[in-house]
Amino acid sequence: MEDPLINPSIDLKGRRILAVDDDRINLRIIGGILRNEGYEIAEAASGEQALEVYAAFQPNLVLLDVMMPGIDGFATCRTLKKAYGDKCAPVIFVTAKSEADDVVMGFDAGGVDYLTKPFRPKEVVARIRTHLSNQQLVEQQKDLVQQLSKANAAKDRFLGMCAHDLRNPLSSIRGLAELMDENAIGELTSEQREIIQTIHGASQSMLLLVNELLDVATIEAGHLKLEKAPTSIVEIVERSVHLSNIEAAKKNTRIEMVKIDTDPMVDVDRNKMRQVVDNLINNAVKYSPRGSIITVLIHSNGVVAGFAVRDSGPGIPESERHKLFKDYGRLSTEPTGGEKSTGLGLAICRKIVEAHNGTIGVDNIPGRGAEFIVSLPLYK
Amino acid sequence: MNFSGSILLVDDEAHIRKFISLLLRHLGVERIFEAANGSIALEVYKKENPDLVMLDVNMPVMDGIETLRALKVINPDCVVVMLTSLANRQTIDDAVALGAANYIRKDAPPEEIGRALADTIDNCFEPDDSGPAAPDA
Repeated sequence: MEDPLINPSIDLKGRRILAVDDDRINLRIIGGILRNEGYEIAEAASGEQALEVYAAFQPNLVLLDVMMPGIDGFATCRTLKKAYGDKCAPVIFVTAKSEADDVVMGFDAGGVDYLTKPFRPKEVVARIRTHLSNQQLVEQQKDLVQQLSKANAAKDRFLGMCAHDLRNPLSSIRGLAELMDENAIGELTSEQREIIQTIHGASQSMLLLVNELLDVATIEAGHLKLEKAPTSIVEIVERSVHLSNIEAAKKNTRIEMVKIDTDPMVDVDRNKMRQVVDNLINNAVKYSPRGSIITVLIHSNGVVAGFAVRDSGPGIPESERHKLFKDYGRLSTEPTGGEKSTGLGLAICRKIVEAHNGTIGVDNIPGRGAEFIVSLPLYK
Repeated sequence: MNFSGSILLVDDEAHIRKFISLLLRHLGVERIFEAANGSIALEVYKKENPDLVMLDVNMPVMDGIETLRALKVINPDCVVVMLTSLANRQTIDDAVALGAANYIRKDAPPEEIGRALADTIDNCFEPDDSGPAAPDA
């Protein structure tokens, strides 16, 4: 990609200006001043003619006399704005009277500035230069935004491709290591076992990263497809709690679920929502001290329903809160059991929850821990 | 896993064949044939007549869907499990419509692959292993 920095010295030579006036002498004067500056000039003697010339000439700026027979300057300006919208060139009104009403009407009609007759050449040149420069900057900025979003989309595509191609070999490495650890090719010595377990651990965390990158790329490219179905929140949470408890037991941590009287239903993509629950519970286990209890609370208020995951970790530092749900938003807080973090998990959670028109937030519980709350529209 | 039949494993990636075949051996499968693409797979199938085929979807020369179609022509009752990487709904639906018995994510951990394979075998074969029954659609 080219250096996106904007060149500060803007060359305005050759920019096209349409001058509209029913007075030939005025046109000649203004045309002379502007040609002298290196601009390309087209002239029109009425509002009607101006509309025709505009279409053919595609000017960068329009100088428009207010008082003209036929459609006047304001009406011409309104017609141009209506026809060309945001792409319409800036219009500067030319008026003999400098009365305030006239000026206000000009701005109302969509003009950016006004000049009063008789012309002071230096003022004309300065004002025109200002508006042409502004317009050029706006154009450059639009180009820049377009270039950047293209580059960003290319990055996401690249990430997606990369992650996709890394996945299979990594799964094979992980699988082979796991099988060897299970003595699939015979009993291992303790050193061999240690090495195999290292390979397994490393490939496992790489797979995790690759999967998260792939999730981000998929979501960013707008390819997140939700297969929604009415689902019980309790059912989703229960399954995650059950599975996570197996892993949590290694840290002597326990996950408990707190139900309510009702079993709220939400319209969600089960797998994606499980991913959110898993991720929040895993985080809670990761950042809580060994031997703690993590609580998952079901909630519903008749409009929204969801769950909250309460941990007993150090909480979210206020100064880092803004990073929490952003891509690669790793905080200074460290996992308590040497676990890995990619900084993508919560960003993915947020994207999934928002794709369901839900919200995700976090509160610090005074004294201890953080509480992540997911709320989704209740299914009726 | 209670399965004494033979399996043909088709994948263009050698590391996948290595991984899945080691997993199969670990699960007690003794007769495993391998093929690196669809057209080799058809040759091996005709020669060895395996009880089950594990078939990759994305392959050069002849892809999984095409191979599945050809296998079903050779033997309409052949039991085929598709090996997928990213679950592509459309491909899975196509494969099931063509008579695939199941699909397995090959990027899953070994125990998950083993479980999915055992489920398929339970569904498609009689407990006495006396050859394939009609695939469970």
